[in-house]
Amino acid sequence: MPDDALLTSLLAAVDAAPDDVPLRLHVAGLLADRGRIPEALLHCTQALSHDAANPEAVALLQRLTAALAAPATPDPAAEHAREPAAFDWSSAEEQVSDIAAPELARAADTDPAPTVEDIEKPTVKLADVGGMDDVKQRLELAFLGPMRNPQLARAFGKNLSGGLLLYGPPGCGKTFLARAVAGELGARFYDVGISDILDMYVGASERNLSQIFDAARRNAPCVLFLDEIDALGQKRSHLSHSSSMRNTVNQLLSEMDSLSGDNDGVFVLGATNHPWDVDSALRRPGRFDRMLLVLPPDAPARGAILRYHLRDRPVATLDVDRIVKATEHFSGADLAHVCDTAAERALAASMKAGQLRPLTTGDLEAAVREIRPSTGPWFTTARNVTAFGNADGSYDDLAAYLRKHRKL
Amino acid sequence: MSAAERVEHLRQLGRLDDAERQARAALAAEPGDARLLAALAAVLLGTDRTAEGLAAADAAVAAAPRDERAHRLRALLLSRLGRHQEAVEAGYVSVALAPEEPFAATGYARVLQRAGRLNDAVRVAHHVVTLAPNSADAHFLLADVTSDAGDRRTAREAYAETLRLDPQHAAARHDLAVLDARSHRLSRALKGLVDAGTMDPSMTQVLQTVTVVLWQLSWRLRVWLAIATLVAIVVSGTEAPDRPTAAARVAAVAILLASAALTWWTTRGLPARTRPVVLAALRTDGPLRFTYLATVACIVVYAVIAVTGLGVLAAVVWLVLGMLGWLTLGVRVFRSARQRREGR
Repeated sequence: MPDDALLTSLLAAVDAAPDDVPLRLHVAGLLADRGRIPEALLHCTQALSHDAANPEAVALLQRLTAALAAPATPDPAAEHAREPAAFDWSSAEEQVSDIAAPELARAADTDPAPTVEDIEKPTVKLADVGGMDDVKQRLELAFLGPMRNPQLARAFGKNLSGGLLLYGPPGCGKTFLARAVAGELGARFYDVGISDILDMYVGASERNLSQIFDAARRNAPCVLFLDEIDALGQKRSHLSHSSSMRNTVNQLLSEMDSLSGDNDGVFVLGATNHPWDVDSALRRPGRFDRMLLVLPPDAPARGAILRYHLRDRPVATLDVDRIVKATEHFSGADLAHVCDTAAERALAASMKAGQLRPLTTGDLEAAVREIRPSTGPWFTTARNVTAFGNADGSYDDLAAYLRKHRKL
Repeated sequence: MSAAERVEHLRQLGRLDDAERQARAALAAEPGDARLLAALAAVLLGTDRTAEGLAAADAAVAAAPRDERAHRLRALLLSRLGRHQEAVEAGYVSVALAPEEPFAATGYARVLQRAGRLNDAVRVAHHVVTLAPNSADAHFLLADVTSDAGDRRTAREAYAETLRLDPQHAAARHDLAVLDARSHRLSRALKGLVDAGTMDPSMTQVLQTVTVVLWQLSWRLRVWLAIATLVAIVVSGTEAPDRPTAAARVAAVAILLASAALTWWTTRGLPARTRPVVLAALRTDGPLRFTYLATVACIVVYAVIAVTGLGVLAAVVWLVLGMLGWLTLGVRVFRSARQRREGR
């Protein structure tokens, strides 16, 4: 490296004789040739401070300022002169900045991965759920109480890990209850339907599930509500035709297991109409080890639901209690259907009469006679389940209800 | 992956509503897609909407006349609608298009079975087993068809093979229990039904079959009591029947002991979980419950005879058994009429 040795000795000479303008200009020229423009500029300005009219110094200054202002077009000579300079990482990164970052393989038409936008913070509380005092009380004792008083629960040996499985006939407010649980806990609510998870592409369902649990952990405290868990966590013996579904069940088991580790603040609620179709492994301790039966609305709840669905409709003086008595075993959805049907009757009568005829108790009674409670087939199956599948007492609540209502 | 595959995936998961929605949405864009039409027909077959399903299957056949599955679905839908001749023709086309396809042969066997051509159905079912010897469903088909054809031995072997290949096959366990009941092996039948119900608690048919078996058991019990009562009356009648006698006491004790032995013999192999099942079955069937209560009352009467020695009380048992006989006959006539009405 003779050039560099020369430059070094010249710089030492400049240091030794700082007032030597020709020497300083010579060094500045050499620095400029090597592309070390800022250093060259420094020497040049110092030379000009000693001899402001020096034409050589002025010419060099013009050259240097032009080099600074010009776009970064490397001078081949200077580039050659810079060798063997260290690798310029920032330049290299600039060169590859337009290359897309690698992504995990995913099918073109799959749904976007679940995001935090799906997570909400519900304001609804259990007090907003009409009637159903029994369910609310059991929810408080089995789930909310221990969650609110973790130290007390631990003192009594109560395990806080695991989830709660809500089950019962369709249309009876399981989702609303889950939302209310999130509201009670002051937690975020993440409502996950099976369409958010199930994907026919191999491995996609497992990945979706994993992302959902990750999102829940990131947003803790969070109630993760897995609706229709019977579809997601089917008995693996029923899935001989679908290895991918079996893997999804295994992934769910794994995610539930990790909840019992250091994932505090994620409360998993599941809901299903068919708990007997859920893989038994999902019901083991640390997973969905608590089950809560959500039955068709009781009398106060039915009254509240009927009043809610009739609130914006033209009604005469109604005997709601009479309708409440006639709609035992009707689900919330059935009651909404009753109100719609009664409203259609009143509308038809109004059109026939040519003037508004408010909805009456008679319209509601006629609608009740027309509509069969949709919970009937569910109770038929439930009766079977309590006979054959209640060896471990999982369905004692259900059996008690069936006996009380003479359905067993 | 195509929309048709997505629909199939949902159908296999039992999400029939979602599958139908997806199929109809995809068909709006591709109304002539034969695979989508066949997928929709399969979904509608699963929801028992046979008329709509047949329209979809017809369209699938028109769009792809060489597609075995479209013909097979059309055959099954026609069969459900009771149009057996057309169903058999469509099933035959399906098998002709794919002679080595077990699903095609299975569909054809089912169509023949529903059309009442049981010998042909048995032949095709044997062919299905040849094509798929390790498939539990193939053996189940053979069992089902041979059972209908009255070949209980083959049916029993095929059910056993089905359960060997798939020990959790609740339908096979149930049907094997039905075979046991038909062969008057009532205890075995009851055990099999409890097993089937435990395998799949949502199978509501099992509890109905349990009540049938309990009716058979009650009949057996009543026949036994009728014979025993005749003997008791004869034994008591030789002396003064209106006064306590040692013969009446001995006869009553013998009947009680024999009844206890018979009960033990019948229930000895039953698992503990049979009790809630029997109780549930009794709760669902009022006349059956009454029959068992009356039968228990008869046993109590014999206990009274054993204590008092009054042989004349056996006449009460005779009267009760006679009344139960009329009740059973009435229930049978009423239920048969109702079944015929519902069948229509």
